[in-house]
Amino acid sequence: MQKARNILGDLERAVIEHLWAAPHTSSGVTVREVHDAVGVDRGLAYTTLMTVLDRMTKKGLVSRQRDGRAWRYTAASSREALTSETMHHTLGELAGDERRGALLHFLGSSSPEEVDELRSALADLEARQQPADVSGGRSGRPA
Amino acid sequence: MAADPADRRSALNLPVAALALLAIVLAWPVPRGLARLTRLRRAPRASLVLWQASAVAAVLAALLAAPAAVLTIVEARPGSGVGSRVGSAVGSTAEAGTSLTLGNVGLWPAPVALLVTAVVAARLLFSGDRVGRRLRAARRRHRDLVDLLAVDGVNDPREDDRMRVLEHATPTAYCVPGLARRVVVTRGTLDSLAADELGAVLAHERAHLTARHDLVLEFFTVMHEAVPRFMRSDQALHSVTLLIEVLADRAAVRSVGVVATARAIVAMVGGPRPEGALGMSGSGPASASDARQRIELLEGGRVFGLPNVVASGLIYTASGLLVAAPVALLLAALATTSS
Repeated sequence: MQKARNILGDLERAVIEHLWAAPHTSSGVTVREVHDAVGVDRGLAYTTLMTVLDRMTKKGLVSRQRDGRAWRYTAASSREALTSETMHHTLGELAGDERRGALLHFLGSSSPEEVDELRSALADLEARQQPADVSGGRSGRPA
Repeated sequence: MAADPADRRSALNLPVAALALLAIVLAWPVPRGLARLTRLRRAPRASLVLWQASAVAAVLAALLAAPAAVLTIVEARPGSGVGSRVGSAVGSTAEAGTSLTLGNVGLWPAPVALLVTAVVAARLLFSGDRVGRRLRAARRRHRDLVDLLAVDGVNDPREDDRMRVLEHATPTAYCVPGLARRVVVTRGTLDSLAADELGAVLAHERAHLTARHDLVLEFFTVMHEAVPRFMRSDQALHSVTLLIEVLADRAAVRSVGVVATARAIVAMVGGPRPEGALGMSGSGPASASDARQRIELLEGGRVFGLPNVVASGLIYTASGLLVAAPVALLLAALATTSS
């Protein structure tokens, strides 16, 4: 199960990278072309690639257009756009009521004042730690 | 026991009423109060246990109120067999009403408490199911995307292939928990952090994953969504989230030291931001003010003037008492009945 998933994941990855590598001017790539580029080396059947591209279409990762009797596939968005979208999606999930898809850390929206306060807190800590770094931070200050 | 039956019955219901009250207090004012006691955060582990204890105690109190009420009333009826206790509960209350001339004072808690138990149990199950599904679906989707997008770059030797690098300038790092877990960092993180700071980030994320902080957070999210909207406290959920971050920060401190950890926290907040990625308004769970609090909490120190160990011990004790309280009240309800 886990194995099968990984193989499928690798295949999707290879397919989308092939689509990303295609020239922007191209009107898309046929299943035959994807199969030649990605499938043949792996000993995969033409229909396997067809299924994978179909799945990826349903997931919204690729889009396709009729060209005569065949489909022409393109990546739905560039790698950069999809990366931004992925990070955005994480943020979005953490922002609203419907939150927590992944635990997100270190990131958030903040005002300049808050950032200033943050920096001075860091400066304070560095000043505290510099002379007494050996104490291991255990002593602290009185609360 | 020559007490007047009416007096005795109202006394019987005291623990039941206390259970109901405890549930309400723990569900509403207590989370708000705890969220304001920011000084407790200096003992993050103990504080997190206290949060969990109060949530568990609230659920226990709400769920036990009905059994306590039913048992008390049935037990109060002379000649009722142990075996027929629960089964005859509903019928016996009506019967007892005539044969024992039970007053209204003696009767009302049973159906009310039963209703409360049913509603609480249903809401918890429903919320647990919904939150669980949502989380797992979102994580699966996100993990697939990350696996698709990750550029092979730095592989953390200790984590095999679980770390993924996204080609993005914003310094950010997070983990996707679950069975197929991932630590995700951006190119911006690798470019802008010094080696020990990156070590802090990775230690932080690894601490989340190994300590299954996601489960703690999931528990609180389930609780948060199980109560009616007007009772939900965003500050409470935020406090818990912050405590979890502090715990992971402490793991980073043990790994690379206080200063490197603090610098990593700042670097991740203050880095350059591409359009959109940080456009969300409101206070996210890890804003600059959160980061400042986390930096101030890196070193521990005294809690309300007490040494950290002592304070933690007291908080743990309070947590234990809190969880024991509903059980004790149930036993009290039974004890008064059978005496």
